Amino acid sequence: MELLKFVSRRLAFSLLVLAGVATIVFALTRIIPSDPAALYLGPRARPAEIADIQKRFGFDRPLIEQYGQYMRGLARGDLGNSLATKRPVTQELGSRIAATLELMLAAMLLAVGIGIPLGVVSTSLRGSIGEALVRVTSVVGVSMPAFWLGLLLQLVFVHLLGWFPSAGRVDAGLRFVAPITTVTGLNLLDTLLTGNLTAFRDALVHIVLPAVTLAAYPIGLVTRMTRAAMLEVLSQDYIRTARAYGVSERRVLGRFALRNAVGPTLTVLGLTMAFMLTGTFYVEVIYAWPGLGSFTVRSFLNVDYPAILGMTLFGAAGYVLINLVVDASQALFDPRVRVA
Amino acid sequence: MTRAPSFVRFATLALMLALLGVVSAQSTTALRVASTAAVTTWDPSLSFSTEAVYMANIYEPLLWANATGSAEKFTPALATSWETSDDGLAWTFHLREGVKFHDGETLDADAVVRSIDRHRAIGGAAFIWAPVTDVVAVDDMTVRFDLAYPAPLDLIAASLYGAWIVSPAALDAAEADESYFEAGIGAGTGPYTLADYQPDAEVVLSAFPDYWGGWDEPGHFQNVVVSIVSDQVLQEQMLLAGEVDLALSLPPTSYASISADPRYAVQTVVTPFNYVGFLNTVRPPLDDVRVRQAISYAIPYDDIIAVGAEGLGTQGRGPVPQGIYPWSEEVPQYHYDPDKARQLLAEAGHEGGGFTLRLTYAAENAIERGFAPVLADALADIGIQVEIEPLLFNQQWAIAKADPAEAQDIFLLLYWPTYSDAGSDNLWSMFHSSDVPFFNLSYWRNSVFDDLVDRAIELTGTDRATAQALYVDAMTILVNDAAGLYFLDAGAWYAIPTYLSGFEYNINYPFATFFYPIRLAD
Repeated sequence: MELLKFVSRRLAFSLLVLAGVATIVFALTRIIPSDPAALYLGPRARPAEIADIQKRFGFDRPLIEQYGQYMRGLARGDLGNSLATKRPVTQELGSRIAATLELMLAAMLLAVGIGIPLGVVSTSLRGSIGEALVRVTSVVGVSMPAFWLGLLLQLVFVHLLGWFPSAGRVDAGLRFVAPITTVTGLNLLDTLLTGNLTAFRDALVHIVLPAVTLAAYPIGLVTRMTRAAMLEVLSQDYIRTARAYGVSERRVLGRFALRNAVGPTLTVLGLTMAFMLTGTFYVEVIYAWPGLGSFTVRSFLNVDYPAILGMTLFGAAGYVLINLVVDASQALFDPRVRVA
Repeated sequence: MTRAPSFVRFATLALMLALLGVVSAQSTTALRVASTAAVTTWDPSLSFSTEAVYMANIYEPLLWANATGSAEKFTPALATSWETSDDGLAWTFHLREGVKFHDGETLDADAVVRSIDRHRAIGGAAFIWAPVTDVVAVDDMTVRFDLAYPAPLDLIAASLYGAWIVSPAALDAAEADESYFEAGIGAGTGPYTLADYQPDAEVVLSAFPDYWGGWDEPGHFQNVVVSIVSDQVLQEQMLLAGEVDLALSLPPTSYASISADPRYAVQTVVTPFNYVGFLNTVRPPLDDVRVRQAISYAIPYDDIIAVGAEGLGTQGRGPVPQGIYPWSEEVPQYHYDPDKARQLLAEAGHEGGGFTLRLTYAAENAIERGFAPVLADALADIGIQVEIEPLLFNQQWAIAKADPAEAQDIFLLLYWPTYSDAGSDNLWSMFHSSDVPFFNLSYWRNSVFDDLVDRAIELTGTDRATAQALYVDAMTILVNDAAGLYFLDAGAWYAIPTYLSGFEYNINYPFATFFYPIRLAD
């Protein structure tokens, strides 16, 4: 019951946060000097046509009225129509979510699959060149701008070595050779579920470079977090006891230390998803990945208010939701959090 | 030694096998194209943007305008012949027999009348039909356009925007649901149907089996897959890696390297893309014609073209692009003469310059971004400081149209005609007097110019030679009065793999690539 109250309170607070975000972004987009009606029609529209659209969409009404209209639509789940594509923003976002989600999940898998082992290995190699190498790698991962890394990977693995394709989710001709049957929208999963290995292979080679680029920062972060947590755990008495009993170092690291050290890392990973969403902005542009990131960048360039608002709210909602899940999980296992 | 769990070993093996097969799936049945062209609408009446690449393969107009230098000015499309009355106020088009729309409907006069009426009523480019007072079905296969003044209806009917002929059934559906086409529906008579569309990702076109032009000739592509790629460098990588057969927008900086690559035949073309700088003529110091002329003489045009467009282009001769009516060699040009510029400044009371101008350009335009600093440096040489302000085009546009007294001093603009008549478009839209600024962002007013252009527009349909002469007079006034700076008519280049033939650029359709003539070379 107490947990339910906690979650309800957090949920109400989250809705307030989202309303605040919507208000601020609405205000910001209207401060920018541009005419939404002219944007809707394009630069060659005649003044009379612009006036018509202003009237039709209510752009000629006072700002506060427009705000009210927008918030009422929002309550109904209506994010308005994109000025650039004329289609509902919800539809635009919906058609791109799977691509971005697949990319983020792949990057997350890399972050976990590479970051945690690297963090563990570095603690067992303390003082060696191997440890220095891991530390340098993690610092580089954290500090290297992803847009630069993306271009570098393209130069080496596409242009020079020709190992990977440069753009898109699948090859342009794939649909005529091994068309993908959509089940979830995640190409890798769908191709496996339907046993379409040709398409799976194609989707896999297409996602490698974008996922590595997007995962560079989380890999570095997870490596450093895991290493720090492992060092702390390894100094605990029970680890010394385990070693004294002759438990192998591999078992000490993997079974006793890592299990206790991995908690904080996983919490950070949840929050890293928000970073990844913004990371997709440039990764998707660099690799022509047809997801939310490239759509957002295009919306900004077009000053497409409804799309910008919709994407900002979507990102904020995702962030709030992840926070809520993290907080609820903590509250579930630690009653002190509920009181706090 | 312990072994990794079996699922880990399996996953690793699967990954390795997958990565070993890096050769991507390719198809010989599809032409694979990379294009920057996003789709803003699938509605053939509203289409007024980059989706023209696809529209021109799905739909057809009554006529196609031929490229400059062709023996005939037009190629019949859905009209096989046409004539105009002596006074130029009635144009009659005879339609092609046996033409089917993609949904199985048959082309007739009613379909043409309804299409044009819808474009005129709601079209993004509806203004092109401004001279038309009525469209009448004379009989099943004949359509007559009645005009208020003798406009060049052949050019208008061949427009890339607002002139597509649409299936009557689709028009019915669109009447009931205004967003009918936006689901990705194509309802034209063109060689390709719209098979699939993934927003911002790809457009798939498939051969229309009943296309009136037929598919008997060998080598046609049955499918065209266009990957939407906004970055030119990425397009180049895709082309070089063999991921696409055609890349429609390559970076100018790669021109030399790809030209030297024997795998490609490079075509260099003249485009209707005209780069202009509007000078704010309503406030000092640019309200003085001598200051405007001084700036025109201070510009190193060759450097502008070399730096901004990698040498692909020619100096503009007024706001009408080369290759498009009514461009003329008789229109004067300024040349780089800094001494004369200084002299004119001195005559205007600004010896040594000593003032600052605010220049805005569209940050997303690479050519403007390239040459804006060259312009600033050149003006600094004669003592004029330039504050360069890159803005998104939409913002630049909104500021320029708000209040001329507070607006920029120099507005860089890329402009091209909606259809192949830069007299009624470029000259009228950009420099004709208007109370509310539309595209006249010099805010320039000249009644003699207005009169010449107005008369020329009304004569173009019946007496093009006289109209051309009037336009030349108008452009001469415009250039001498230096209301704008005419930097360059941009060129473009295409790298066509040697295994393809049939690619042809048509200056009248700069945003369209016609896939039907492209074939595998023998």
